[in-house]
Amino acid sequence: MENFEQSIAEILEVETVNLEDELNAYESWDSLTVLSVIAFCDQEYKVALTAEEINNSKTINGLLELILSKQNA
Amino acid sequence: MNFKFQKKKITGILSILPENEISFEEEIDNYNFSKTQSMKLKLVMGYDKRRVVKEGTAASDLCIYGLNYLFDNGYLRKDEIDALVMVNQVPDHFMPATTHIIQGKLDLPQEMFCIDIPQACAGYPIGLQQAFMLLEQENIKKVVVLNAELLSLKTSPADRGSRPLTGDAAAITIVENDPNGKTIYSTADFDGRRADALIIPAGAGRMPSSAETAKLTTDSNGNTRSLDHMVMKGDGVFNFVLNEVPEMIERVLGLAGRSKEEVDYFMFHQPNRFVLKKLADKLEIPYDKMPYNIVELFGNSCSPTLAVNLTYNLSEELTRGKHLICLAGFGAGLSWSSMLMEMGNLDFCETIDYK
Repeated sequence: MENFEQSIAEILEVETVNLEDELNAYESWDSLTVLSVIAFCDQEYKVALTAEEINNSKTINGLLELILSKQNA
Repeated sequence: MNFKFQKKKITGILSILPENEISFEEEIDNYNFSKTQSMKLKLVMGYDKRRVVKEGTAASDLCIYGLNYLFDNGYLRKDEIDALVMVNQVPDHFMPATTHIIQGKLDLPQEMFCIDIPQACAGYPIGLQQAFMLLEQENIKKVVVLNAELLSLKTSPADRGSRPLTGDAAAITIVENDPNGKTIYSTADFDGRRADALIIPAGAGRMPSSAETAKLTTDSNGNTRSLDHMVMKGDGVFNFVLNEVPEMIERVLGLAGRSKEEVDYFMFHQPNRFVLKKLADKLEIPYDKMPYNIVELFGNSCSPTLAVNLTYNLSEELTRGKHLICLAGFGAGLSWSSMLMEMGNLDFCETIDYK
């Protein structure tokens, strides 16, 4: 998970991110970015997320917790 | 479901593209997306040009045009067609079936078998499977498989989730017996529990079209469409493809006892560049063995797009020599299908424009 924040920052097209940041506060946050997050999570963490789950996770930390909960499921 | 077919071959493939070409930029203002977002969409998904029919052109028109091309060039004779198998979701009419319209308009013999299969993006391998089964009949020596789709008629102009990727096309594939043919391995799987992942809600028996079903509404992503339009759960379909397709490819290779390295080309249905590159990465297939350029050039035409992929990208390879080819289709149903076969020395493998 060490590269998680770095990878999310790349997807969001910014230098760095903070865990408490709201996902939809980013200018680049749209349906295409959500698809990139789905692809990234499938590739890196072998978890399948829906667009609704990602949007409901609200923050970057929420997204991280969502991935961890899916991995442990 | 796994299948094995013996002593069968494809002898020719023709793709027919409507002449009306639309560029992504022409329609950009229809989408509820900023210019920057739309250009990113174009870049990532590989949207550029797409071919669609003009108003009034139906599925049978594209097929008849292609069949006449084959008759005129001596690739096919009317009296040798024993069966027409058509894969199609947007027919000329609910009644009668489109193969019957084609048979009538071309004045083909009465003594032939006609069947229409309502399958979508998984339909190319499924049509071939049905043709191979028909060839087990002693009266059936030559089967003409038709794939034709006009989904542009069913996409909303203001739905960036489906409109910019959808093209129309038709394809004709000739299938025959081959005493020297090697075993063909194939699969088809279905999951109706996810039927709503790709659906046209209204217009048929469940919900006939009405003024109510034609009303436009806007969803949470800003896409506007009516119940008469096709709607796709993009994330659901994406997860479906990433989960089911790699497993299917490993399975069909396993049936044949072949490795990925032995396959010359992985010729897949063409949904968009993004999905295809992710699939290639996950399967660890080099991009040059798995073309992904059809959506940007012609659009995703559902079941015919796999034939367009073959005729556009492998025209020379498939008319000379033999190659081990892995086909895969996946889409509405949900359904997903594959075929691993030796292909080559085709009588024709061409892409033509409908005029």
